[in-house]
Amino acid sequence: MTDFLQLFFSGMATGSIYALAALGFTLLWQASGTINFAQGEFVMLPAFAMVGLIAAGAPLPLAFVLTVVLAIGVLGWAFKRGVVDPLFRHGMMPIVVATIGLSIALSNGVRAGYSAEAHPFAGMFPDRIFNIAGVTITLADCGTLAFALLLVLATQSFLARTVTGRAMQAVAQNTESATVLGINVPRMIFYTFAINAALACAAALLVTPVYLAKFDMGVSLGTKAFFAAVIGGFNNSRGALLGGVIVGVGENLAAAYVSPQYKDAVALALFMVVILFKPQGLLGRKEERKV
Amino acid sequence: MSAPVLEVRDLRKAYGAIQAVGGVSFQVMPGEIFGVIGPNGSGKTTMFNSVLGQIEPDAGEIRLNGADITGLSPLELNRRGVGRTFQTLQVFGKMSVRDNLIVAAQEHKGSMFSRMFAPGDSGLGPKADELIDLFRIRHVADKPAGSLSYGQQKLVDIAMAFMSEPALVLLDEPCAGVNPSLVGGISTLLKELNARRGGSFVVIEHNMDFVMDLCHRIMVMVEGTVMAIGTPAEIRANKAVLDAYLGN
Repeated sequence: MTDFLQLFFSGMATGSIYALAALGFTLLWQASGTINFAQGEFVMLPAFAMVGLIAAGAPLPLAFVLTVVLAIGVLGWAFKRGVVDPLFRHGMMPIVVATIGLSIALSNGVRAGYSAEAHPFAGMFPDRIFNIAGVTITLADCGTLAFALLLVLATQSFLARTVTGRAMQAVAQNTESATVLGINVPRMIFYTFAINAALACAAALLVTPVYLAKFDMGVSLGTKAFFAAVIGGFNNSRGALLGGVIVGVGENLAAAYVSPQYKDAVALALFMVVILFKPQGLLGRKEERKV
Repeated sequence: MSAPVLEVRDLRKAYGAIQAVGGVSFQVMPGEIFGVIGPNGSGKTTMFNSVLGQIEPDAGEIRLNGADITGLSPLELNRRGVGRTFQTLQVFGKMSVRDNLIVAAQEHKGSMFSRMFAPGDSGLGPKADELIDLFRIRHVADKPAGSLSYGQQKLVDIAMAFMSEPALVLLDEPCAGVNPSLVGGISTLLKELNARRGGSFVVIEHNMDFVMDLCHRIMVMVEGTVMAIGTPAEIRANKAVLDAYLGN
């Protein structure tokens, strides 16, 4: 039982990182009908940016803030203007193909242009271990879980409680009506891309101490985040949190009780079960398709 | 005599060889409820969408309170005080009725910074409550708009158009799909809004009883042109209109 609780808790911490990236998937989908298959690389790039800034002497908090600003410009604005906007009128499939291509280009670009090596990255939480009722918990797991949950809740709170958040929801639900009501739709969609970029930076901050900064770190993370978003419900940002935690806990338990070799298959298996029996995801809603 | 709120001069729009709107001119005066009727394909919606900036007209001029608004985007028109409803429901289904009303006017309040960080209802709560009471939807005010009946959603839809207190509201078939028992209620509501708040309305509608009861003046469009403009009594007595559209 103690082992189970330990695995469960550390799985939740890992899952909360998946949730951050998954939340980006759901936000982009709801606001702009975009699926970004370069989401993993959107985590990898900030990781390398922070590695570079720290190597240049910037302390971690400053490196993080600068990376967020840079990411909002490059992964938010430039990505929207350069990839999504020109392709949007041609439907979703060209965007999907373009982001798959972007994913390959970014990871190989970093490998060829910067480094193929894994770069260590100091975590934001000190190495400390707690023992609560026989269950060993690391401070890193606690901090990761708390920080990720805080970000997810802050994002949801922003969307639900602020004027701009409500306008973003309105755009996600009915773009035509939002336009007629005076909402600046392109700006709201940009905000979504900017939030996605900032969440990717936060995911990079939390995941890189474990995965290390490596050109291919985004492949597995992006795939699992996508599965998490589908499992939780692609049109529900709370679903991203649930999906992330389910994938994180599931793969941790599978690694311990089945085989470590099957760890990565858990997310895929869960994804397939959900697609078969509840295709809208655990918290998602069925959507009518316009024809 | 006061200046018109909306003035459309010689508006033209063709789709290939088909002249959807061929030289339409009319004026809507302050406080006036102006009806537009005509058979299907008469160019009402094309004219409507041209005025609202959703279609770029080939020629002609559209003026709002004297200012040229031809070709302006719906966003810009909204900022200048033009509201609209659609033929089909356009409520935000996952938001509560109250939030639907608040979101319908919030872009007219505060700075970009305050909108981004200030919580709450942007000070629009009392205005939303006033419309909720006027439209008699208090009992569903906290329910998601998408969970309401079609008629209730239609009321929310119309109420949203009035939240920002626009100078001009264009209503596209407000009775479409609505239970006949509710049609009279919508007419009463629109008259009450017109009397209470002023503002001018342009209403496209096929329900003749509704249009004749509600509108101060009516324009009849046939084949992209204006056949007649006049009071309901004048339109009822117009032989050409009777022959072409209203029948006996």
